[in-house]
Amino acid sequence: MSDLNKKAPSILLEGVSKWYGEVIGINDISLAIEGGVTGILGSNGAGKSTIFKLLMGRLKPSQGTIRLFGIDPWKSTAPYRRIGYVSESERMYDWMTSLDFISTLARLHGMSREEAIKRSKHVLDFVGLEDVHHKKIGKYSKGMRQRVKIAHALVHDPDLIILDEPLHGCDPIARTSIMNVVRELGSQGKTVLISSHILEEIERITEQIVILHNGKLLAIGNLHAIRDLLDQHPHRILIKCENPRDLAKLFITSGPIYGVRFPDVGQLEIQTNNLSAAHDIIPSTLVESGQKITSIENPDDNLDSLIGYLLGGINDG
Amino acid sequence: MMDEKGLSLRETVWSQLDRKAGAIIELTIRQLRNRISTWVVLGVGFLLMILLLAFYVDSVREGFESIDNDGDSVDMDGDGYPLGQEIKYGHSDWDSNQFPGSSEFIQVSAIGYNDQVRAISGNYTWSGAGTLNPIWIDSNYVGQQWSGIINWFDVDNTSCPLGTVYEDWWPQYFGYGCHYENNEYFVYGKFTASGEIVVPDGSEMLWGYNTELFYVEPDPKSMYINEDDIDWNGILLQKSQGFDDDGDCLRYNWILDSEDGSFYYDNDGEPFDNDKNDNGIICDVLWLLDDDLDEIESIEPDSNVDEDPDDERYMGESSHRTFIIGVGKMAFVIMIGLFLPLFLALGLVRDETENGTLHYLLSKPIHRGEFILYRLLGYLAVTGSYVFMLSLFVGILTAILGPGEGIIRLSDIPVWLGIGFATFLVLAAYGALFNTLGLISPKYGVYISIVFGVWEFVMGILTIANPNWTLSAISINHWALQIIDSVVLLAWPDTLQLQQMASAFNLDTGLDIFWKPPAHTLGTANPTVAILVSIFVLSTFTILMLGIGQSVFKNREIM
Repeated sequence: MSDLNKKAPSILLEGVSKWYGEVIGINDISLAIEGGVTGILGSNGAGKSTIFKLLMGRLKPSQGTIRLFGIDPWKSTAPYRRIGYVSESERMYDWMTSLDFISTLARLHGMSREEAIKRSKHVLDFVGLEDVHHKKIGKYSKGMRQRVKIAHALVHDPDLIILDEPLHGCDPIARTSIMNVVRELGSQGKTVLISSHILEEIERITEQIVILHNGKLLAIGNLHAIRDLLDQHPHRILIKCENPRDLAKLFITSGPIYGVRFPDVGQLEIQTNNLSAAHDIIPSTLVESGQKITSIENPDDNLDSLIGYLLGGINDG
Repeated sequence: MMDEKGLSLRETVWSQLDRKAGAIIELTIRQLRNRISTWVVLGVGFLLMILLLAFYVDSVREGFESIDNDGDSVDMDGDGYPLGQEIKYGHSDWDSNQFPGSSEFIQVSAIGYNDQVRAISGNYTWSGAGTLNPIWIDSNYVGQQWSGIINWFDVDNTSCPLGTVYEDWWPQYFGYGCHYENNEYFVYGKFTASGEIVVPDGSEMLWGYNTELFYVEPDPKSMYINEDDIDWNGILLQKSQGFDDDGDCLRYNWILDSEDGSFYYDNDGEPFDNDKNDNGIICDVLWLLDDDLDEIESIEPDSNVDEDPDDERYMGESSHRTFIIGVGKMAFVIMIGLFLPLFLALGLVRDETENGTLHYLLSKPIHRGEFILYRLLGYLAVTGSYVFMLSLFVGILTAILGPGEGIIRLSDIPVWLGIGFATFLVLAAYGALFNTLGLISPKYGVYISIVFGVWEFVMGILTIANPNWTLSAISINHWALQIIDSVVLLAWPDTLQLQQMASAFNLDTGLDIFWKPPAHTLGTANPTVAILVSIFVLSTFTILMLGIGQSVFKNREIM
């Protein structure tokens, strides 16, 4: 139990493949993660959950080796003493109170009952659920449940925290709160692995990303460096307003905008090949127009566009 | 965020293991408590017990109506005298005119078919054929049933045919009579009259008189219930015991005579034999000991000896034991032992997979094998304490209500503990098995378990009927039932004797249906050996199933 290699990286994948019968889950992925917050990005079916299940010892790799703190998770449960895991599953023991739920699971780490309760209260406070310790989980909102799950993963003070789509389905307030928690964990020097299929979410938490596509490792590195490359390529911004034609006149004279379109009534689409420059002028231009703006959308600023760009294919949006 | 990493150095690996086990066991208990089906199953089990207890109170506790075990308190012919009393006087119970004190015919003389003298006068009771010239006729004479008594009312209405009797016409039946024009009669039958009788050639006539009727007080029927109690002085080494209190064995020859030599059956429906046990002593009971010379192994009475024992005295104890053994075997081991695991153990791990909550438990530093073990322990904590409380509840109630001198029957306690223990072992074995089946095939495990359950049920019934039947040993509850049989023999050593007494003396206790001496004693006839063998078989099976479940689960990928 105590042979956890302190020097080994938290997560190490070497040439790992997993296929389910004929279907490939992930293909030849090599990866080492140590320290800070890392986002795993990928659309549904890209292989995020497969990697997480492999890390959590639920699946056995078809090929390659997986090491958590230097130990094979399929063979030993020892690494989990230092790992907190937040599953994508939304099922919980609804009949329990959050304090019950977390302290019961904390005892599986070998804590005494008193210690487990003490620590559970602590982590519930940490995720901002201090007032609802004794309420049944079944009565919690989606965001609260998600935070209980995160609290449960933190109760034993792990060095590595793995979160599978923790923001999925949360309302904006819960989302912000969870993001703050994750950032806080990162700043405490813990290794955090968080997955999402929404670029914007990850962007607000971390710069260190891994992008998966069709089971393959597509990119690894700093998100902003990748984004900057993407910014130099054509982008569309969709603005819903009262009078698109008047607004178009204002934009057409601006530097970074090279084209406008009117896809529908009350809609203006502006085209740019320098997104950051466009973002600099858009707010002032809108104020100048004095129009009532219903929404601004950035259809190309998403994961699919990023992946499309990385794949070098044509992004038809 | 938290204080210095984790756990104090004083805490050993063992105390952490304890805590993990405790947490999973506790979680399992709480999960089971939170399921409605758990309460339904436990509630049904409780209701079953209440029902059985009501049955117990109704039949066992209300006392035993003393049964006429040898059937001699009846009065079939309706003459007011029970069969037992009629037998004493040498009568049957089929003829209402034959009863203690009824008049009997004493013959004086007779005219044979070839005697010279063919006429006789006098006042007698007659039987035969002849022409009667009467002075006086006793038209009220009834004699004995079925014996051809002349009905004088019919005779007055019947004219004799023309011609000579036995030449021109013949009497139709014994008991026939007719009148001639000259106030004479032709009679063929029995009658009482005064006058002259002429007997035709080739016919016979006998005559005599009937004794006076004398009054015999009819015995109450109750006198013939429990009238031949078991005579046993408790001295084990004295083999010949028992006495024919009501004399229906000792009077054998008399009975034989009065029944005209007809074949006579005793109360077991076997040919009467006043030394049926062949020990050279008539009308006694042979008590045979086992090899250790401390227990009665078989009891062989001669015909009609001790055949109507005091039911209250023997039935109460036997029936009480029958109830406990029957409930222990049928309700506890076979029903509760099977249904609790079927409902509660099958999904112990499988349900966690289906509910999507398994990952909370498996993402902890705990081995999957351990996890199965702790889940089973949690299930056993719930079902085991339920069985313990239920057996305690039924046990205490029957121990207070049951027959016996004291306020509570202390000797019942080890039996109930044995029943609880046997049921617990069955719960563990089925639990491990069903849980493993649920793991091997989450989809079909339940059906396989039900098929298996049917097999177990049938084998359990067969085991109760005959524990020595080899095939029934290929089942789990066979071995648990063995434990109950053995514990019964240890707690109540005289059960064997009670069972023998029941079959020897016509006591309908049911003890021989529900209890048999333990079979798997490895030839020692020692019940403790049977208990140890059964515990070994059951726990080996449980550990084996647990091991299979663990290895299946360890290599299972959880999607």
